[in-house]
Amino acid sequence: MEDIQEILEDFLVEAFELIEQLDQNLVELESNPDDLELLNSIFRVAHTIKGSSSFLNFDVLTGLTHHMEDVLNKARHGEVKLSHEVMDVVLESIDMMKSLLHAIRDNGNDTSIGIDITDICRHLDIISNGDEVSAPVAPAQMDPVETPMDEDNVDYSKLSDKEVEEEIERLLKMRKEEDRQRKSQATVSTPVSTNAASSVQEDKNEEEEPKVAAASVKRAAPESSTPAKKDASSSMEQTIRVEVKRLDHLMNLIGELVLGKNRLLKIYDDVEERYEGEKFLEELNQVVSSISLVTTDLQIAVMKTRMLPIAKVFNKFPRMVRDLSRELGKQIELEISGEETELDKSIVEEIGDPLVHIIRNSCDHGIEDVATRRAKGKPETGLIQLKAYNEGNNIVIEITDDGKGLDPDLLRSKAIEKGMITEREADGMSDKEAYALIFKPSLSTAKVVTNVSGRGVGMDVVKTNIEKLNGIIDVDSELGHGTVIRLKIPLTLAIIQALLVGAQEEYYAIPLASVLETVRIPLDEIYTIEGKNVLRLRDEVLSLVRLSDIFGVKQVYEGGEHTYVVVIGLAESKLGVVVDTLVGQEEIVIKSLGDYLQGIEGIAGATIRGDGRVTLIVDVAALMNLAKGINVDIRASAETVVKTKTVPSDYVVLVVDDSAMDRNIMKKSMEPIGVKTIEASNGQEALNMIKSSEQSIDAVLIDIEMPRMDGYTLAGEIRKYSKYKNLPLIAVTSRTSKSDRLRGVESGMSEYITKPYSPEYLESVVRKNIKL
Amino acid sequence: MSDKLNQIIQKQQKQIEEPHKKEDDVVQLVGFIIGQEEYAVPILSIQEIIKPIEYTRVPSVPDYILGVFNLRGSVIPLIDLRRKFKMDSVKPTEDTRYIVMKGHDNTAGFVIDRLTEAIRIKGNRIGPPPETIHAEKGLVYGIGMREENILTILKVEALLKRDF
Repeated sequence: MEDIQEILEDFLVEAFELIEQLDQNLVELESNPDDLELLNSIFRVAHTIKGSSSFLNFDVLTGLTHHMEDVLNKARHGEVKLSHEVMDVVLESIDMMKSLLHAIRDNGNDTSIGIDITDICRHLDIISNGDEVSAPVAPAQMDPVETPMDEDNVDYSKLSDKEVEEEIERLLKMRKEEDRQRKSQATVSTPVSTNAASSVQEDKNEEEEPKVAAASVKRAAPESSTPAKKDASSSMEQTIRVEVKRLDHLMNLIGELVLGKNRLLKIYDDVEERYEGEKFLEELNQVVSSISLVTTDLQIAVMKTRMLPIAKVFNKFPRMVRDLSRELGKQIELEISGEETELDKSIVEEIGDPLVHIIRNSCDHGIEDVATRRAKGKPETGLIQLKAYNEGNNIVIEITDDGKGLDPDLLRSKAIEKGMITEREADGMSDKEAYALIFKPSLSTAKVVTNVSGRGVGMDVVKTNIEKLNGIIDVDSELGHGTVIRLKIPLTLAIIQALLVGAQEEYYAIPLASVLETVRIPLDEIYTIEGKNVLRLRDEVLSLVRLSDIFGVKQVYEGGEHTYVVVIGLAESKLGVVVDTLVGQEEIVIKSLGDYLQGIEGIAGATIRGDGRVTLIVDVAALMNLAKGINVDIRASAETVVKTKTVPSDYVVLVVDDSAMDRNIMKKSMEPIGVKTIEASNGQEALNMIKSSEQSIDAVLIDIEMPRMDGYTLAGEIRKYSKYKNLPLIAVTSRTSKSDRLRGVESGMSEYITKPYSPEYLESVVRKNIKL
Repeated sequence: MSDKLNQIIQKQQKQIEEPHKKEDDVVQLVGFIIGQEEYAVPILSIQEIIKPIEYTRVPSVPDYILGVFNLRGSVIPLIDLRRKFKMDSVKPTEDTRYIVMKGHDNTAGFVIDRLTEAIRIKGNRIGPPPETIHAEKGLVYGIGMREENILTILKVEALLKRDF
């Protein structure tokens, strides 16, 4: 039983692959009916499926393929001409084969969903008997019939044994025939074969030369021309099928390893600082760099195992475009290139739907009908180009059509009509922003709603799906000449490059795929228009929002005169995010926040940084939404001082010394100033007091030699917080050597007082530092 | 001699059987203090108890969720039980601990003021929750009666359920 199950699984996998190939080849064949090589390979595929399905007793499927095979066989021998009508029937029978295979996968048999194949078989028979098909088969016949067609099944099961024998006999005959044919071909049909061969060669060598046959599906990339593909399949690389779950697990483990690596690098940096010049450092350096190298390689290798060529998605489009062009009565040519470009499996699965919508739109709204095109002096056949290529860590998919293009004014007026934007907004809209309107739900410029598109749903789906993948959509169009839609999608989802930014004391990671650029601007370049902050960046006006305002980060320190703006772009929109610090670019592993915190607006997940802390990852799409609801005048709020201190008693000075006597001396010295003093007896205690920020401390007097944490370390730790960047740290010590002073400066001390000191001196230094 | 031997054997037998019998209706709990009261959760629902470590604030969540922290590579939410029970939050002390509890499909850390002890309590000493408790509504499994005090036994699944 298990064996059968295994065979069945293999059969299904194989059959689905074969059918996909069949689909493609048939569409290609239609425009290139003389390609015998292609026809033969199609025949072989159909035959293989028939053979396997009869072995597994799938009689309905066997019956269907049998009839189809007959037609193909006749076509091979030139007895049937493959007209468009014949092709319609053949393609339809392939669709039916697909539904049967799905039924087998889901139910384990091909009878239970009750697909009726009698009609289509009749049609196939008519064709193979040489009659012309009068009308294409109505699609209704494909629909499952409510009552299972028992009689049919009985018929086939009765037939099957006999059929198998017939089959063998026929096969033998066929082989003989084939041989004979091959011989005769060499002599008789030379023109045909050379024709095919020459077109193949051209495909391989010179793309620019005009194709001999008017193929509706051109393969621009030479490696992927059909003959080359066949070569590859004959000398198939050894492969092994692995459950996706296992790969996912592997990916998780690699994620952990990457985190470990980041951590190691961070520790190495710290160690390097402390033990500079020591011998073991060199060795450590070697180990750390080799581990980080191997980890990176390993990560790439595992990522690659999850990669699939985008051909998996692209392959269904020739058929779709063919069907659409027949349905719409237009002539459309689809040109595919770069289908060997690889993408993560999960992305390949997500990208299909958006592409379907975009291509349908291009066919329906983009490409004009033949008459219009002729009138405009364009070639009668419209061209849609589908192109994929790598760009850094992203893959770019371009869909270009030479149709009528987008009319920005029409889009604006439509959007106003539907109340999506105000007239004023429309006036201030650039053409590019107007194109972006096509992604708004329920906006359609189609004059009529067709079966294909025009309901204004499709492009909205495109936008949401691409956003889900952290992708960017770019639309470019020229009225009367065509439209280019460019999708830019990150290669993988689990480990990403991110830009780490600081908002006050908090850090956030922004996926680098969404970051367009970062700029440093003076605050007075920020303008307010209707309560919104904007920045003029080159020739664009960019809305600005502060990350701290979106996430409600507590304001703890003032920014300077300048601020950083991270320009993020998603799908077709842009936003400037104002942050306080830019930390840098880092490779991060996306971790979920768990069920408990799932779906917090603006947060896509979390990652663990090299120092072991958790950093949240910004959900760029949600961020853009949240930004709309925020009305804070950035300039005004940046100018208001966080806290005002007026009288000396508002000021707090922290005294850190392990000797109570020394602390008292310092306190006494400061009494004349009238500031409040608090005490800590060692570095650790002082750091905790500062970190808890219960009191806002204005200056710290630090002894150097202390238990638990010395003064230098304390100063270094304090300086790690950006809000204490400017906090006066005054060393009070008996260490007087030059190197001690130097170390004090390095660790971040702002003043150095040597013991013994006069109370007046200390007082004046403190006064100077807190500006009293 | 054989009498004595018998006695010993009998005694041993008793010892073997007794804890078994006890185990059946004895609940093992871990007690802790929040504010003035003693609470407890079943020992088996506790993954571990750790000293406070740094956590990262998460925006737009109720105030009792302090944020998330890193527990050996996992990102785990941190919940302040004081705020959850509508008490004022206090500064962490030497005794503050995070109890990491594990439910069916959730894990979270809970901030408590102080641990007390591991508690064994008989099932029949646990009464139903009083109806007057508002802040802890639905979170209480029962009230454990002990000789010197009473315990509020919390429902771990309810604590781990997202309620915002």
